[in-house]
Order: sequence, then C-alpha cells, then structure tokens
Amino acid sequence: MSVIKYESAVRPPLVDGSKTYHQVTEDIIRPIETTPSRLWKIGFAISVGLLLFGVYSVYREVTYGIGQWNLNKTIGWGWDITNFVWWVGIGHAGTLISAILLLFRQGWRTGVNRAAEAMTIFAVMCAGQFPIFHMGRVWMAFFVLPYPNSRGPLWVNFTSPLLWDVFAISTYFTVSLLFWYAGLLPDLATVRDRAKLKWRKRFYGIAAFGWTGSTKHWQRHESLSLVLAGLSTPLVLSVHTIVSFDFATSVIPGWHTTIFPPYFVAGAVFSGFAMVQTLMIITRKVLNLQEYITMEHIEVMNKVIVLTGSIVGVAYLTELFMAWYSQNPYEGYTFWYSRANLFSPYGWSYWGMMACNVLSPQIFWFKKLRRNITVTFFMSIIVNIGMWFERFVIIVTSLYRDYVPSSWSYYYSPTIWEIGFYLGTFGLFFTCYFLFAKWFPVIAVAEIKHILKKNGDSYKQQGDQPELEKKSLEEFEHAMAH
Amino acid sequence: MSNKIWQSFGALGKSEGHQANVADEFREELPFEADDKGLMSANAPRRDFLKYLGFSTVAATVAASCEMPVKKAIPFVSKPDNVIPGVANYYATTYVQDGDVVSVVAKVRDGRPIKIEGNDLSPIFQGGTSARAQASVLDMYDTKRLRFPAQIKEGKLVEVSTFDAFDKMIADEMAKLNGAPVVLLTSTITSPSTKQLVGEFLAKFPGSRHVTYDAVSYSGMLLANEAAYGKRAIPSYHFDNAKVIVSLGADFLGTWLSPVEFAKQYSKGRKIDEKNPTLSKHYQFESIMSMTGANADERFTHKPSEAGVVAAALLAAVTGGAVNVADAKLKAGLSKAAADLKAAGGAALVVSGSNDSNVQLIVNAINEAIGANGKTINWAVTSNYRQGVDADFETLLADMSAGKVGALLIAGANPAYTYAKAEAFKKALAAVILTVSFNTRLDETTELCKYVVPDHHYLESWGDAEPKSGYYSFIQPTIAPLFKTRNWQDNLLKWSGNATTEYANYLKAYWMTKLGSQENWDAALRDGVVVPAEATVAAGTFNGAGVAAAVAAAGTPAKAGTWEVVLYEKTAIGSGAQASNPWLQEMPDPVTKATWDNYATISAAAAKELLGIDLTKNGDADRYEVNPKKPVIAIKVNGKEMKLPVIIVPGTQKNTIGIAVGYGRSENVGVAVKGAGQNAYPLATIANGVVTYAAYDATVTATDELYEVAQNQTHNSYEGRMEVVKETSLATFKKHPELFKAQRDMLVHDYASKTGDYRNEGSLYDPRLNDRPGVHWGMSIDLNTCTGCGACVVACNAENNVPVVGKTEVLRGHDMHWIRIDRYFVSDAANPDDVKDVIFMPMMCQHCDNAPCENVCPVAATNHSSEGLNQMTYNRCIGTRYCANNCPYKVRRFNWADYTGADSFADNQVGHVSDVTLEMNDDLYRMVLNPDVTVRSRGVIEKCSFCVQRLQAGKLEAKKQSRPIKDGEVKTACQSACPTNAIEFGDSNDKNSVVRNMRDHSPLRMYYALEQIHVLPNVNYMAKIRNTDEVMEVAAAHKPAEEAAH
Repeated sequence: MSVIKYESAVRPPLVDGSKTYHQVTEDIIRPIETTPSRLWKIGFAISVGLLLFGVYSVYREVTYGIGQWNLNKTIGWGWDITNFVWWVGIGHAGTLISAILLLFRQGWRTGVNRAAEAMTIFAVMCAGQFPIFHMGRVWMAFFVLPYPNSRGPLWVNFTSPLLWDVFAISTYFTVSLLFWYAGLLPDLATVRDRAKLKWRKRFYGIAAFGWTGSTKHWQRHESLSLVLAGLSTPLVLSVHTIVSFDFATSVIPGWHTTIFPPYFVAGAVFSGFAMVQTLMIITRKVLNLQEYITMEHIEVMNKVIVLTGSIVGVAYLTELFMAWYSQNPYEGYTFWYSRANLFSPYGWSYWGMMACNVLSPQIFWFKKLRRNITVTFFMSIIVNIGMWFERFVIIVTSLYRDYVPSSWSYYYSPTIWEIGFYLGTFGLFFTCYFLFAKWFPVIAVAEIKHILKKNGDSYKQQGDQPELEKKSLEEFEHAMAH
Repeated sequence: MSNKIWQSFGALGKSEGHQANVADEFREELPFEADDKGLMSANAPRRDFLKYLGFSTVAATVAASCEMPVKKAIPFVSKPDNVIPGVANYYATTYVQDGDVVSVVAKVRDGRPIKIEGNDLSPIFQGGTSARAQASVLDMYDTKRLRFPAQIKEGKLVEVSTFDAFDKMIADEMAKLNGAPVVLLTSTITSPSTKQLVGEFLAKFPGSRHVTYDAVSYSGMLLANEAAYGKRAIPSYHFDNAKVIVSLGADFLGTWLSPVEFAKQYSKGRKIDEKNPTLSKHYQFESIMSMTGANADERFTHKPSEAGVVAAALLAAVTGGAVNVADAKLKAGLSKAAADLKAAGGAALVVSGSNDSNVQLIVNAINEAIGANGKTINWAVTSNYRQGVDADFETLLADMSAGKVGALLIAGANPAYTYAKAEAFKKALAAVILTVSFNTRLDETTELCKYVVPDHHYLESWGDAEPKSGYYSFIQPTIAPLFKTRNWQDNLLKWSGNATTEYANYLKAYWMTKLGSQENWDAALRDGVVVPAEATVAAGTFNGAGVAAAVAAAGTPAKAGTWEVVLYEKTAIGSGAQASNPWLQEMPDPVTKATWDNYATISAAAAKELLGIDLTKNGDADRYEVNPKKPVIAIKVNGKEMKLPVIIVPGTQKNTIGIAVGYGRSENVGVAVKGAGQNAYPLATIANGVVTYAAYDATVTATDELYEVAQNQTHNSYEGRMEVVKETSLATFKKHPELFKAQRDMLVHDYASKTGDYRNEGSLYDPRLNDRPGVHWGMSIDLNTCTGCGACVVACNAENNVPVVGKTEVLRGHDMHWIRIDRYFVSDAANPDDVKDVIFMPMMCQHCDNAPCENVCPVAATNHSSEGLNQMTYNRCIGTRYCANNCPYKVRRFNWADYTGADSFADNQVGHVSDVTLEMNDDLYRMVLNPDVTVRSRGVIEKCSFCVQRLQAGKLEAKKQSRPIKDGEVKTACQSACPTNAIEFGDSNDKNSVVRNMRDHSPLRMYYALEQIHVLPNVNYMAKIRNTDEVMEVAAAHKPAEEAAH
C-alpha cells in the first residue's frame, strides 16, 4: 500500500472518458471554432427577442413613469426589487464555486466554475437593472455615487442600505469580473494559438493579454487567483447580507427581522446552485460536454441544494416561531395571517414558496433522484420559482398590509411592462450566456488539465501500473507543494 | 528695516520703478469695463477672443440643442396698486352656492384668487369652512364654464357678440310675450339686495312671479314651521347649547342646512376635559350610515318607511305615551333618548332630515315638549338657507305645461337634472315661449333653454348674503371676470328698463341706505360681515293644533316592500351643483371612502343574503376589499331601473339601499363628471306635491356584472391596533382614566426604566441628538372633535398643488392626497352591522424626529430640519420609493406619471394620466396653483410639509419685526379649514402654545400613533371617547408599577 493514496475510493472520476490533454482542448475549444449549431441560433434569437421586449418595457417606464407598473402608495416595491434580489441571489453560486471551493480545494469545481462565474456576472448585470430602473428619475441615478460634485453640500446618505447596495453590488461585479477574466487568460491564449483566421488571432490575441504560458505567468496567475478567491469569499457572505439589510433595517413587520442575513445567504446559494444546474444541464447537452460536466457534478450540486434548501426551511419556521413567540401583533399578522394563511389574498404565494423551496428539494435525499437528469432539471426550475416567490412574499406580503389598516392595499398584480422588464433580463442573461458559450471556453481548459491526472477516468484505469503510480505520485507531491 | 522677503532686486532695493509698478498693478483697462465706445468697437484681445468664442459656442449649443419651453410671463407695464408680486392679498367675501353660505376670505396672489380661508369675524361660521367652500375657487377656473352670452340652438351655443346685442334680443322676445307672465325660477336666494331687486323686476311685469326651487327640498320643514310657529322659515339652531342631541336622519354635520355652522357648535360639546369628563350626548336614528350618524354616540337604524313612526314614537316617549315600535332595540333606544331629552331641561335638541311636513311638525312638538324652543332653537333669528316649497314648483310645472308661462328666467336652479320627474319638466319647458338661463354651465336645464347669459363666479361678483336674519355677509370681486359673463342681477336690471344702473352700484346704494355711511360700507367689505349688536335666543309661539293630525298621518308605517331606497347627499358632492369640481370628486366620501362615483350602500347582512359576501369570514372580506370590482345590483323603483355597484357599509338598515344624488351629470358641465356615477334623483318619490328622497318599495336583484369603485381606503377595521387608534366609551374612561396612559407607561417601563424618558432612553443613540432647541413644530389632533368632513383634505389640495389623478389612478392606489381621513368602524365581530363606533383619524406625515424614511433614502432627499420638519427635497429625489415603503403611516405619495406637466420628458401625458388630470393641466385650471409651492414632477415622492411655505412666511414676518413667532400666527391649511378645530398646530417647544398645552395637560388621552416603534412623531392624537354608558373590559394590562415590584 502506498503512503499516499491519490485516488479516493469513494470519489468517482471527475472527467469521464479516456481523455488526453489534447482531447480536452479539442472538446472544449472546438465549439468556438465551428459555426454555431441550429439549436444555438434558435436559442440566441429567442434571447435577443426577449431582450428587445425588455428594452421596450423599460423605455415605456422611463418615458411615462413608474405608473406603467401596478405598484401603488402602499406597495412601493413589487416585481422590480423581487427580481433584483432574485438575480443577485443567483449570482452567488458562481462565486461560491469559484472562490470558496477553490480555497477548500474541491477538485470538482473545475468542471463548472467557468460557466458558473459567467452566470454570476450576467446575473449581477441583470440584477443591477432593477435598482437602477426602479428609480422614478433614473436620469438622476448618478446622485447615488459619492464623488466630488458641484451639487452643493448634499452628498449621498451613508445610512441608507440602498446606498450600501450600490457599493456591494458594484464591488461584487468588479471582483467577479476580474476573477472570471483572470481565469480565462490561459484558455484565451489556447484559442489564440489554435486560431487560423486573422481576425480571430487578433481578437483572442488582445484578449489573452500576451499570455505565453511561461512559469512566471503561471505562478502569477495562481497567486492572483488565490488573492481574488480570498477577496471573493467574504463577498459571498457580504453581498446578500447587505441586500437583506434593505429589509432587515427597516421598520416594516416582515422586513424587520434579524435572521435575514444568514437566511438570505443560504437562499442565495440555494437558488444559485439551482440556476447552475439549469445552465449546466443545457450546456453539456448542447455543447456535448457530458464527459466534463458529469453526473458527479450534478449529484454534488444536488447535495448542496438539499442542504441549503433545508437551511432556508429552518429559517422560514424560525420566522413563524418568532412571530408567535414575540407576541408582536403586527408581526403576528404579517406572518400568520398575510403569509401562512393559505386563504389570505397572498397565501398562495407563501405556500408556493414553501412547496418549492422546502418540501420539494427533500427528494434529493434519494441518490437515484439526485443522479437523474430530468428530475434535476425540473427541480432546478422549481427551486428558482420558489426562490422568486420567497422574495415576492417578503416584499409584497409585508408591505400590502402593514401598520395602519387604512392603507391596506388593493390586490397587486403586475402589468405587462412589469413582466416585460423581468423577461427582458432573461433576454439579457441568455443573450450574454449564448455569446459566452459561443466565443469563450465554457469549461476552464487549463484547470481541467490540472485535475485530469488525479481524477481523470483514463488515468484511473491505469492506476495499477506501478510506473504510472510513481509518476503520478511525484506529480501529486508537486501539486501539493504549491 | 529692510525687506527680508523679496522677489526681485527692485523689491529688495525698493526702486522707484518697482514702486510705480506696485502702485499701478493693473495698468491695462479691464476689457469688459463699460466705456463710451461700446463693446462692438472695443479691441478684442486674444484672451477675449477665446472668451467670446467659448461663450458663443456654448450659447449656440444650448440654444440649438434645448427646446426651451415657452413661458407666458408678462411683466406689468404699470404696476397696479396693492399688487406686490409674491405677496398675497386677502379679501373677505362669501361662498354662495344656491342656498349654502359660508363667509370666507379669498387669498389673492398676483391678481389670482388661489385659496379660500374661513372668515374668523363671522359669528356664524367662526372661521370654519367646508370641503365645498374650499373647492369653490377651482370652479372659477373650470374649463367648461360658459364664456359668453349665447343663443342655444339644438343644444349648440351661438355666441352673441355683445351684451347690448343680447339685451336687445331679449327685449324683442319680451315684447312678443303679449303680457304672458314672466317667471323667475331660482334656487334659494339669500341675498337681501337681490330679493329687493327681484321684487322691483317682477313689479315691472304684471302677473309675473318668483319661484324658489331647491335641488334637495326642505319644504316639509318650512311648512311645518309655518303651521306650528306661523313663520315659513327655519329657526336658528344652537347645537352648542344642547347637552342631548337627537337627529332623526338629519346629516347636520355633513350636508343638512348649514353644516359648517352646526359642526362648529357641535364641537363645543365634544371637547373633553380630562379632569371632569363630560360630553354632549348624540343619538342618531337613521336608515343609512351618514357622516353625522358615524359621529353619534348611540345610533339606531330603522326602515326609511318608518321615519314618521320613529318621530311619533319619540314624541310619545317624551310626552309620556307608549312607544309603539316593533323593533326592540329601536324601542329601547327611543325610550333612552326620550329620557335623556327630558332630563336635559331644555338643553336638548331634536332635528329631522325628513321632507315630510308631518314628521317635521312632530319634531316641532317634541322640541316644544322638551323645552328646546327658546333654548337650543332660536326663533328670534331665522335662517335663510332653504326657501323652496315643493308645491310652488309643482304649480309652476302645471302652468308651464298649460302654456301659461311666457318667459322663464332660470338662475341657479337645475330641475332638468335634480327634479324627480325631470322628463315632465323638460316637456313643460318646451312649452314656454322664452327661456333664459343664467347658469354658469351648459347644464341639463340650460341646454334646453333658448338663451343663456352666464353668471359670474362668486369670486368675480359683487353681492351680499343673509344666511341668518340680521347677519349679513358680503361678496366682493377678487379678480376681473375671466370671461364675458355678467352678474345675473344685472340682467334683471337691464331687462326691467333700468339700463344705466349696474348691480354693483345698486348693491352699494342698497347698503349705503342701510349702513348709513361710506366708512361703514368700507368696513363691511373689509370685514366681510355685518353682525347684529345683540344675539338673543328667543322662543317662537308654538301652535300644536296640527300635531295630532300629523301623528295620525305619519305615525303609521308607510306601505313598503322588502327593499327600500334612501337618497342622500354626499358630503363633498351634495346636490351635484359642484359635481364638476375635480377636487370634490376626488375627495373620498367620509363614510365609504369612495371617490368619483355613486353606488348602492347596503348593510353587511343584506350583502350576505343578496350577494353571498359574508364580512365575518376573512376570505370573503379579503376578496371583497382587495378587489375594486364590486358586484352590481339592479334596483327597480316605480318602473325605473338603476344598475349600481355595491359598497357594503356596516350599520345600514338591513334591506335598505342608500344612493347618493349629485352624480351622473351631463358631460357638458365639466370634464370631472364624465363617467362619475348615475343620476339617482329620478328615484325620489313625489306624492301630493311633496318630494320624498326615498322609495319604500324597490325590487333589488343581483347581477353578474362587476363595476370598479375607486376607494382610497379598503379596510374598515383597525384590527384592535391600539397603538394606532385609541378609543373607548365615556363610562370606561371615567372608570379607568389611566387606560390609555397605562399603555404608554408600558413603553417607559420596558424601554426607559432608568430615566422614565422614553423619547431619549428608548434609543441606542446619544440622547443629546434629540435635544432640539428653538422652534419645534408640532400638531395635535383631537379625534373627539374630528367629524370626518374632509374640508382639510380639499384645503390641502388647494394649498399644496396636490394633483388630481382621476378615477383610473385612484383605482390603482395612486391617489396623491397629503392628508387623508382614515375611517374605522368598530363593530361586533359576529354582526358587522352592529356598529359601536366610527373613528375618523386625520393622517398626514407625522414629521417623525427619528424618521424611518430619512435614513433609508440613498441620496438624502428627505431629511430633518432643525425645527422638527421632515422635509422633502424634490430636486434631490431620484424616486426609489424606499422611504414610502418604510413609512409606518403610509403617508408618502409618489408621482407615478406626469400628473402636472412638470416632467423633463415632453408629450408623455396623453394616455398615461386620466382625462381629468390632463384637463387640470390646462392654463386656465393652472391659475389656481399656489406659486409658493413647487409643482412636483414625475418620479419624485411628495408628502405633507406642515405647509412649510406658511411657516417660512410667518417666520419672515416675525423676523422683520424682531420678535419670536407667536403661537397661532401661522396655521396649516388643514388646521385653518377645520370647522371643529380638531387640528391644532404650533411650536411644541413653546410652553404656552396650544399644542404644548394639549400635550402637557391631557396626559390621559394624549398619544402618538405607533409610538412603540420609536419614530418619535411630531403629531399627537387625543384618544376618542364616545358618550355611552357601556363599560368595556379593560384588558388586564400588567401594571408597570406592580411588575416592577416583582
């Protein structure tokens, strides 16, 4: 028995098929070099269509006013901020995968981290649209930026959680973008080196920042990745914490809840992983990458989903308990009447949330279901519907019947333009994602190659050969020495 | 000493050349110094060239790239006297609408009247106003006002170029009458000079007569008084002298006769002294929930057809007879009311809203029996608010139909709309040779006339009014007539051959003889009122001869079917004369909180039976309230059918439907009436020449239709949230005086046990932050005296340029009112119709010292002033609505669309704001805007500012006189409009201010709404106490003292 067993008996390989380094490159880079498939074109066209509809919806809202939406004097936020929180939450999985899992040296992350990071960036882009365009006077949006200006002594208000959002989201976006791009550099260089067309060479040449693959480059790249991972890790916790402060620091029953920060973070990871599942299942199918994004990945992520879904469930129950235990009649009304009562006007949304977020993920206790593509895909959609409802429940059912009963609202349902804005962000998200899938390697080629020997199927089969084992051992020791 | 620091050898050695240089540092002329040569001939050096280049490039860019809006501001060539731009003038005048009179003061800014205030000098109204008086200024700027005298051909106006030409046409027509009588048909005239003038006019035309027609008739009362007291008049009432008030269906706080006057009087008995709590006792017997009924201490309902029975039973009860009423609850109520009335020793008053002279005669007998005559009823001073007698109009109608009327001159009256048998009137009108209308709009009657010569608006007129005998109130123009209109009195003068005299001169001559001198006349105009020296209360001589017959006639129930209908006037819209006023249409009804429509009000019990809506079930109640689409019912009365949406009003008599009149007006009278309800006047019953505003036999069926009713408030209960509303009965308050205080003490106990100062200790922050010296504005609102009338709401609209959003936007919860009156029903959980109390709670920005809106605004657009004001900086606002979400009182309003035309984007109103809002952007309507208040643009939040423009003006005045601001010197618009003084405002740091005194000296009732969230509001409320003997269970609130002992 060898001193160091480099291959776990319980962990199946992370890359299926007998892949060599060259095959990996071929598999992942090829889609970039060929004309897009019919499926890609249809998907892209739909996405652009949605995006254009969204642009028109926003145009109407900016030109004619927020009155294009059905918000009212009591419900100041509805679909807009619901969507904002939902998209921000989705982004979290990407950061968690790329940063925290990197620090924890989870090898399986390499299969999905690139796409997940891209998803983060696009999700944050989508999220950002809502706080910007929910402003009544969006052309004055720059008022939220604290820069020396000529507008007199008034400055931004540092006590406002909405301002914290500005900082949190912009920091998050910047760090995520840098992290993603830094990871892309070696792969872009690969694409450049393989390119035969002149413009392609130029484009990827510029994009690769002159990467040559020298040891110095690799060394700096590794360091930068660790630094950015270190920067991103607190962001995973802080961004959604700050988003939750929008509600938690207010005085409105149903918002004013100290449990919000951890509850929001768990929810964000939960919805983010569901979104990663949705995207990965489509991507591996469309780009024929089943051997890189394997059943192992899907199963691992399903485990995260059932864990975070249960955390969220505990949070829901804690809220209900505290609403009763505190004997605060206002909170009691919000939680027990406006929400938990199925027959109250919005009771359906609360129970929809409960069913989607707490009950349905429990099926993932069964290994068979965890490893079922169809079930996973279906569940990933369910979870994201549920998480959308969660934000809707928090925002709308708290506002529509708060302290003063005279102001209790008419039933709120969105206008077509409110829905259009949301659909538009889907358009934006998928347009970006399709472009990304076409022009960039959706899997981190360089990182896959890192783990290929340890976790690749082909090397595993050769595990019995002593000289290979010796070689691998050396390599493993080398890797650990970093 | 030589220079240690030098820049050049010249400086070091102080050479002559250097010194000359220093002395003449700027040798060259500055290029822009004005000289004789002028700019054009000046040499432009290089630097100037660059300046010119830069300036002209920028100027050209700016001029070319921005489409500058055209602003129509024309300066005075020669400034008129008394008009100082930016400084308002105030003129005393009188709001007169048909018989309604309120003495007011018009605020005139730069030649435009923009706001109505009450006239404090009037002993009748004492500075109070009504919503309608407040809104009347907008009527003048109505775009649908008739703008010239005209002939009407098939409903179309043909302008007559001059008044002379018009007069000639009328003279020619008059000549053709061949002695056929001329009839002047008017609504009630309260003007003594006009009455004299009418007399003179009629004298010129033999056989002519004057007929008074009131939209909502008080004929029964006039006739009953004639029978009992020998005077066809209405006495003066003194609700302030009454310890017991019984109203039999009279909405005397909202619409009955002179609500401002009565509300003022009534409020005197509703103010409560904590140390010795007493209140007047107000019983209301009615069929539907009126605003007055909502204010009553004890309220009993009966069928409309039993109105006479109830009156007779009350008479029997006060005279010791048997109370003959089947309903046990009603019977007990009548006995109790009778006992209280008798015990009051004359300090009691019974009034009735019935138009049946028999009922009114019975009421006279009751008042006589309880000794009210001469105590609370003053026959020495009679009131002139209503003078029409139904039979007179009925006779006129017969004469007209018979062709016995040659000419009909109509001033103010609009029977083609308000008369129950309007079709008959229209037919009769066609039989009249010459018909001339003096009405201000192409209303339902005017459009059927042959000529129209529109009257001035009262703010453009000269005139006088005599609301009560001996009390005069004057009207003087506050603006030159906007259009080619004329005082209708001038028509009579001209057409009776008095071609040279104008009414203004006639009026002056009339008053010069009465007042004796120019000084007196000037003083009368300045003060706006002339008051008799001594006001004594005297009894009338009662003649009870007809009472027995009246009891016999009215004392048995009228024949009735299952369903009965009551027609009522809404507080804002009244008879419908001002229905075209957008402010009034958008003012929510005090009871139903609905705007822009009339509807069928039904009881909760009837709703359950007829529509299956059970308000005791949460599911049903929720569905009903969150959905503006209300079920429609079909109501059939005498073959006339109306389909109306249902609004459930708890406390309505079961199977009784209330429908407001004043709606469904012709679209010719204003943009605001378009789609606003249906005309309910045709449902009134006319029998024996008497109009009854009810129908005793109606068929009601549910339909499948739904109709959207725009309500500002949908939830009716305060859900026992004592932090929001504090109310109890007088008996409970006497037994547990510390009831409310104990609730507040709990906060001190829980959060401020060290210092007992909840305000400072209840926060994590340094208490010194709350130490605010100087002026600290505060408001105090007494829930006991607020009647819910809504005058404050309209006053606020006018003062603060609050936009009218129209029905479509109210339906979407986009109403913009800065102040609202929350109305809560307190009723039995199992039986919503058993209404124990109705609370009216004016709610506006509470100007919290620890405002939750302020800390959440990312751009500090809303912030706190050193004087305790929560300020809105519109220019700074980017419209995140976070503040509105975080406002626990939900008083912040967002500009959802470009309601005012003040937006940065052009052409974005059509299709996105309502038609009314669009019309309100017309230059004519915009004349009413208050120049001191910014018109808000789309996308910003707005809310109550405590009328900061008034505070600033007041402070400036005080500063000019180098003195601190005096208490009561500045009043907010809501405060000054309030007829019951329920709202007080002032500096809460001033120990002698009214507000401070209310807070300091009423610790038992004073509270802040939602005090427990420690937002530290600057508005406090006084808990509502209703005068009932019921002692309520006081929740065993753990007493702080006891618990502390543990």
